[in-house]
Amino acid sequence: MEEKKHVGEVIQNAIKALQNFNSQNLKELSNQTIHSASLKQDSGSITLAVLIYTLSKIIERNDHLKVKNWNKLSKKIVQWLELSKDALEKNNLEKYEEHLKEARKTLSQISPNLKEYIKEVLRKAEINKASRIYEHGISMEKTAQLLGITQWEFADYLGTRRIEEGYSTFDIKKRARIALEFFS
Amino acid sequence: MKVLICDSGILINLSLNGLLDILEKLKKDWNGKILITEQVKYETIDRPLNILRFKLGALRIESLLTKKIIELPSSLNISNEEIKTKTKELLEIANHSYKAKEGWVNIVSEGEVSCIAIGSILKEKGHEVIIATDERTIRLLFEDPKTLEKIMSKHLHQQVQFVSSYNDYSQKFNFIRTSEIVYVAYKKGLLGIENKQALDAALYATKFKGAAITFEEIEALKKI
Repeated sequence: MEEKKHVGEVIQNAIKALQNFNSQNLKELSNQTIHSASLKQDSGSITLAVLIYTLSKIIERNDHLKVKNWNKLSKKIVQWLELSKDALEKNNLEKYEEHLKEARKTLSQISPNLKEYIKEVLRKAEINKASRIYEHGISMEKTAQLLGITQWEFADYLGTRRIEEGYSTFDIKKRARIALEFFS
Repeated sequence: MKVLICDSGILINLSLNGLLDILEKLKKDWNGKILITEQVKYETIDRPLNILRFKLGALRIESLLTKKIIELPSSLNISNEEIKTKTKELLEIANHSYKAKEGWVNIVSEGEVSCIAIGSILKEKGHEVIIATDERTIRLLFEDPKTLEKIMSKHLHQQVQFVSSYNDYSQKFNFIRTSEIVYVAYKKGLLGIENKQALDAALYATKFKGAAITFEEIEALKKI
């Protein structure tokens, strides 16, 4: 119940941030949905996190200025977000997820000259969100599965990020010795 | 028999670093088998074969399978059905090990757990098994589940509790990462690079392609 209220607030604030071209706020809101995405692992939380992060990137880079009908497009996304919030309040999770997917679809159906670019931003947003979920202790494969990315892309990306890995659970010398003996 | 079970991350790491030949060289004078499960085959060969960016890597791994450098469990007369049943059982336990306020947290998925499943079956049959995985979560679950509890609690901003149903399985397996495989290859002179910095370079390369190893551990490995 509490979580649902929180997600509803995130959507409401995301709408405001989108209307005010506040990329920083959008980015923070996207991170807030990650806890929910890590815990519930529902496609709604994941779509919401990716969508909000993508919007933050587009605005941060001023790429929305390159989109001819940005205002129209933005209004349409807001409508879908409002519908998803309503559905969530009515406990209709199916509709909630469906509306979020429509919002994402609206974004990816942007003008033809930017279509490939948006597709790439969405893909990078997925990988970025995956790394955040991974930080929460969810395995690489599970995370990749949730975001619909391959472990190949994920491994490639994780290497470039300084993820907290400081967990030496086993003596490294002992592990090395076990490996050496095994291959003897 | 000695059996090294590789999960997807190991093959992906070696492939992305152009180090897959290490497995071939290690296998040459070694009386053991390197196994992958069907789930790992799907993630490392079948699926990336349809993605242009990773197709070459997938073909290289497939070639190892063709040359029997890596093999499927059927080579040890273990059926997919047997692995599937065990995987399902272990998956259920693993994903009911950490409890948050909202319920159980699903931490692992089928591919990773299939490696533990085949490992478990092989151990019961008397084989000497090592599981090679770059995966932080699965390793912590077995070697230090309380640390995983701390990580989850910290990032989820709530108390996540480790429920010890996995205790029967803890400490049952030895785990190594791509980093240790590279280390063994270096020690055996199989890395194929004649340079003092070869080990340093290769170890960091494994870290940067997904191996969950700390900088301190790499430095320690270099000094052994």
